[in-house]
Amino acid sequence: MTRAEAVALVLSRLAPGDIVVAADGAISREAYRSADRARSFYMLGSMGHVASIALGLALTRSERVVALDGDGNLLMGFGNLALIGGLRPVKLYHLVLDNQVYATTGGQACLSRQVDLAAAAAGCGYPWARRCGLDEDAGAAVDAWLGAAGPALLDLIVAPLDPGPVAKRIPMTPEEMALQVRRALGAS
Amino acid sequence: MSGSLRLAALEHAGVDLVAGVPCSYLMRFFAACEGLPPGRYIAAPREDHAVAVCAGAWLGGRLALAAMQNSGLGYCLEVLTSLHLMYRMPLPMLVSDRGEPTDYEEHRILGQRTRQVLDLFGIPWRVATAGDQEAEASWLVRTAQDGRQPAVLLVGKEADV
Repeated sequence: MTRAEAVALVLSRLAPGDIVVAADGAISREAYRSADRARSFYMLGSMGHVASIALGLALTRSERVVALDGDGNLLMGFGNLALIGGLRPVKLYHLVLDNQVYATTGGQACLSRQVDLAAAAAGCGYPWARRCGLDEDAGAAVDAWLGAAGPALLDLIVAPLDPGPVAKRIPMTPEEMALQVRRALGAS
Repeated sequence: MSGSLRLAALEHAGVDLVAGVPCSYLMRFFAACEGLPPGRYIAAPREDHAVAVCAGAWLGGRLALAAMQNSGLGYCLEVLTSLHLMYRMPLPMLVSDRGEPTDYEEHRILGQRTRQVLDLFGIPWRVATAGDQEAEASWLVRTAQDGRQPAVLLVGKEADV
């Protein structure tokens, strides 16, 4: 499964009220290309912080909040596992699109090849954390993840390279991206 | 006396929750935060995480304050620039004002440049006093919200009321 296919799979399984926070770089662009939603927040920078932004939403909203993280992203903001595992927001769903490389910058090796991210999440207190390998049924894994009591982390292994064209930059200003989510949530 | 006049004033000015990493200069403030109901004070592992939690809270319709030692500002620059400043999000911040010549070495290099760092990124700041916490809280929240930007209240040891 490619990263683009995994993003499309997860977005297709969400309810209209779910809030999404998509990590910077290719993950946000894929999420926008696959299914733009007013309740999706697209990060352009601040790498490593998708899960803390999702936590801020989970603490202030009653809806389900889904963080679309990357393996390099998660390793950069590794303290997020302790923050979320410690606070245990029950409606937070954390997905790691784990291609085991820094794909956006040319496919350099990432420590996720050696580090078990699901085991780390479980050790930090996530009540549900699993890895789904390349040869496993990703659809079933996503259903189990979204059906679990949160916070739940799914480390979804995807192919290191996407064969298709790279998703284009999102044609919105950062300010519009933020206000779109605020408006959809009735906050401005 | 228990409690914190500073926290009470900030809540009165519109702060809904606090995320941060403690500083000994803000001991009274953080002690009061620990007494808040669950989910209203988030003890973050590092200052940049706290700032990102505040961004999420604002997207969700709440105003969160980030509180930290000024050494933590270094960790926060990437998040402040590519999240709050770029997306135009309000962020009231309470930052300790360490680094005076009598302070320990580890606080001096960044501590003595805190104002310059904030000026460099166009972040408005003000130095807190021990007796005017209502006006200071009101300035902090209004500056952050009206400008949809970070704003900083620098708090020295004697202003942790």
